[in-house]
Amino acid sequence: MTILWSGLALGAVYTLVAIGYNIVFVSSNTFNFAQAQLMMVGTFVAYTGLVTLKLPVLVVAVMATVTVMILAGLEEVIAVRPVKDHQNQLVTTLGVATLISGATQLIWGSEPLTVPFFGSNEPITLLGGRTYPVEIALLVLAIVLVVLLGQFSKRTVTGLALLGISEDREAAMLRGVNVRALALAAFAASGALAGFLGLFVGPKTFAVATLGSALAIKGFVALAIGGFGSLPGALVGGLTVGLVESYAALELGSEYSNIAVFVVLIVILMVRPAGLFGRVRERVV
Amino acid sequence: MQIWRSLRAVPSWIYPLALAVLVLFLPALGIDFALIRQVQLACILALVVSGLSLSLGYAGELALGQAAMYAAGAYTAGLMSIAGYTDIVLQLVAAGLVALAVGVVTGIPGLRLGSWSLAMTSFFLVLLVPDIIAVFGETTGGRGGLIGIEPATLFGHVLDPENNEFYLVIVVVTIAWFAVMRNLVVSRHGIAFRTLKQSPVLASSVGVSVFRMKLLGYAIGALPAGLAGALFANIDMFVTPEAFGFTFATAVLAACILGGAASVYGALIGAAIIQFGPNQASDFQEYALVFYGGFLIVGGVLLSGGLAKFGKAAMARLDRAAGLAGTRTPDPAADGPRPAMDLMEGRILVVDGISKAFGGNQALNNASLSAEPGQVTALIGPNGSGKTTMLNMICGFYKPDSGRILIGDNEVQGLSPDRVARVGVARTFQTPNIPEHITVLEAVASGRYSTDRVSMVATVLRLPSYRRVRAADLAEAQRALEMVGMSHLRDETATALPLGMRRLLEVARSVVAEPRVLLLDEVASGLDENEVERLADLIRDLRDAGATVVLVEHNFRLVLELANRIVVLAQGAVIADGSPAEIEQNPRVLSEYLGVSVEETGARTIADEEAALSTEVKS
Amino acid sequence: MTAGATTPLLSVRNLESGYGDLRVVWDVSLDVWPGKVTALLGRNGAGKTSTLRAISGLNKISAGSVEFDGQDISKVPAHQRVRRGIAYVQEGKRVFHRQTVEQNLILGGYVRKMRRSALKQEVARIYDLFPILGEKRGLLAGSMSGGQQQMLAIGQALMAEPTLLLLDEPSGGLAPVIVNEVMERVSVLKEAGLAVLLVEQAVEAAMSVADHVTVLDIGRVVMDADAGDIDDLAVLRDAYFGRVGG
Repeated sequence: MTILWSGLALGAVYTLVAIGYNIVFVSSNTFNFAQAQLMMVGTFVAYTGLVTLKLPVLVVAVMATVTVMILAGLEEVIAVRPVKDHQNQLVTTLGVATLISGATQLIWGSEPLTVPFFGSNEPITLLGGRTYPVEIALLVLAIVLVVLLGQFSKRTVTGLALLGISEDREAAMLRGVNVRALALAAFAASGALAGFLGLFVGPKTFAVATLGSALAIKGFVALAIGGFGSLPGALVGGLTVGLVESYAALELGSEYSNIAVFVVLIVILMVRPAGLFGRVRERVV
Repeated sequence: MQIWRSLRAVPSWIYPLALAVLVLFLPALGIDFALIRQVQLACILALVVSGLSLSLGYAGELALGQAAMYAAGAYTAGLMSIAGYTDIVLQLVAAGLVALAVGVVTGIPGLRLGSWSLAMTSFFLVLLVPDIIAVFGETTGGRGGLIGIEPATLFGHVLDPENNEFYLVIVVVTIAWFAVMRNLVVSRHGIAFRTLKQSPVLASSVGVSVFRMKLLGYAIGALPAGLAGALFANIDMFVTPEAFGFTFATAVLAACILGGAASVYGALIGAAIIQFGPNQASDFQEYALVFYGGFLIVGGVLLSGGLAKFGKAAMARLDRAAGLAGTRTPDPAADGPRPAMDLMEGRILVVDGISKAFGGNQALNNASLSAEPGQVTALIGPNGSGKTTMLNMICGFYKPDSGRILIGDNEVQGLSPDRVARVGVARTFQTPNIPEHITVLEAVASGRYSTDRVSMVATVLRLPSYRRVRAADLAEAQRALEMVGMSHLRDETATALPLGMRRLLEVARSVVAEPRVLLLDEVASGLDENEVERLADLIRDLRDAGATVVLVEHNFRLVLELANRIVVLAQGAVIADGSPAEIEQNPRVLSEYLGVSVEETGARTIADEEAALSTEVKS
Repeated sequence: MTAGATTPLLSVRNLESGYGDLRVVWDVSLDVWPGKVTALLGRNGAGKTSTLRAISGLNKISAGSVEFDGQDISKVPAHQRVRRGIAYVQEGKRVFHRQTVEQNLILGGYVRKMRRSALKQEVARIYDLFPILGEKRGLLAGSMSGGQQQMLAIGQALMAEPTLLLLDEPSGGLAPVIVNEVMERVSVLKEAGLAVLLVEQAVEAAMSVADHVTVLDIGRVVMDADAGDIDDLAVLRDAYFGRVGG
């Protein structure tokens, strides 16, 4: 059971990355490779705030949120907006991811840093398994975000506008939606979210730059399983990846955990390429 | 300028060859060991990068798994050496094959969904390398690395590092591979790849199987990475998983983007810069990622063709200043001589009861038509009538819900577009889709890609079968250009031509494939009167030569002029089918175009219609 | 060409426009007056939709001018033209299929900058005009019939409280009786003072509401007259089939 909680918490982290991917995908039809790295920056800022500067939690939360929001905004303007086709956008966002990786290594070094959870760090026993408050918090956060964002998209005018953009960009423009500004805002918002989540993810994964790529890829697998653009899908996909990874490590050995996730990815791409909740469109000439 | 002109008079492959010979003889020039080593590493990096160039720059797919194939090659060679097979040629072949296998196996799933999935799946491979090494830890030495590699041998002779013999092997392999790449890329296969990259739809319509071609691009891109791995294993005689991580993978991508993915030598330029530039600084390792990230961002945003593209642009400017060929602005008004057209063997096209629904929308409803050789059959109808769907159906882009489509005796409904193209259906598109940087002649010749085939191996080795096909390509393309009156433009850059000429070029490209059925999709739209006239003449010639021409058009005057038969579609069904005179008189056609409801007026002739309408308006 | 001798709300002069390389509109001039319908007719491929796209800001203008409410709007981005009062109902009933009727309408009011709850009140006015939408307010737009989607598209545009409505082939794919209903609504809107530029292939439907008629063929105007001056539709039909020289 301990493994179950640990796996679910890990899966929640992947879900949170996938949620970031989805926000950007829906608003700009782009895949932001640097999403996970942005989250890693959040964990580093959390470390600095909590450990180095010993600031109160709320201040650190604001620091992390604002820092990453600005980074994300810069990324959109420099690396996403000027680039017209998807191929090159992947290259430039990968470039941003690499740059962030390198920069964080320069600033904070390459050793993993322990980020304390601002809540309790004492283990608790739940349903026969041992878990930590941060793990429960991650799980709850993932679920709450999926629900909240789902509601936001349906119940606010801005949310409807974002849904509209993802379905028919031109039609959205004709309803008066400033598509470009909204895309920037959504991008920055996904950054702000990633920064804030750093306080929760950091304690689970440690603040270490090299983890960014692994998070990015497994977050993508979560997306592939759940379907591009689907928030519930991100939840199902993320938790699946987390559980597969953890159980494979337990049963087969740690070197098999990534391989197991890869196998799941291949299976999904062969059997249901659009993901569980995704939509396959008829090809139009 | 005179210097430039003499420089350009020499065949362009002489220069890279001269550089290659220079590099080959570097040790003899007394260059020190450290530099020799850098050149070796640059060559190896260039090999890996060229694989990425092939799949990204030519096939248009961002496949990032080269680092994994490089690792596969390195471990294959290392293990072979430990097992006693130290012959370098054997190791190269084995490493190449292993890398190829890895490339194909991992490419298939990624290709099913498109660019993001391929990129991420291939990047995942890089993540897996240390894990797979660890799984087979006993054989591979795990994270500690593979030791015990013996020095490489060539036909029994140990390659002596003192004499820089292995250096020569590396340089020779690099030269050989780039020669292969160049031969492939400038051939019809290279053009086919570029067509595919630009528009998979266009590629399938000339008979290229998109899936197979993309996979081929990805697989061929895996080969040099495997070769590079084998060479790398033998340089230090030590292989460790750390050499194949994300830093390396990012360096490969950065080199590719920097040098220019769509150029044969871009990989060399990029690799040289990365190897001799940033890699030199001793504390570079710390800054490595920042630099690579920066290169990628700048490269993706600004240098969309890399430094190689800058180079080509500069060359073109010098060419223009020196007054060399291929730089005059074409004079479209000048009419080339037009010979009589060869006989075309058109086949009868039969569409029998086709229905197709998209979601709740019935786009085609039991529609039937036929088009005969030696005739122009026009397909007209208002918006939403299903004309485009019908055309796409015939070409194979959609599967019908029911009904049959026959070309001659062959049933083609449900076949994939490339297979329909190979049965003999040629089509033009509303927006001409022509790859950049190729001449008019080459663009037209690319229409023959599937009708007259030659293997890539024969192409690369310039075997007689290749030469024969190439000669045929050029001859047929020349003839087709003469038929459309554009042969004087054969050496111009195809994409530099005005729209009307590009349309004619597309028709020429369709004709060169000797199609059984020719589908012309709104060829006249956007053309001025002169251009429409030339087009009309061409279509008449094609018809008289026996082709089966299906014309989808909005230009009603043109249709009345050219068509032997007009089929009218409205709301997915055929509402009229007959000669132009009949259609002009047909009240139902009138009602569909003018929106007059026949039932209300009960009229049957145009005169009656007019009278009825004017009384309606007045009241 | 006065249709009432008031100043036009929209004035297009010598418009040249297209998609990328392709020129589809070569030289188009037309006017639309408040409270009047200008019908823009012609066969498909004549450039009617492209003209609307240029006016709405979706396509770039390469030459000529578009003046709205006395101001040149050629440089104004599309979403801002909506704010100024131009609403474009594209052909093909381009509503958001994955949203409900009510959500679609609320989104239509985006430029009003009101909260969702306030917009919901506004939506009631649209239900007055199109009762069928009120009945189906909770249904996904994608599940409705063509005619209902067309009404939704128009209702959506009206939520922005436009002064100029660009209607692109509202009769497309609809049965004649539904087309009549739609045209009736257009009449009502015209009475309320809305300026309407109506693009149609279906001449009879358009003529039932048109005050002024402009006919296009291959990107140019071949006929331009007040509807009242058209006695004989033969002239119109000739223009349609390209038999008119000028």
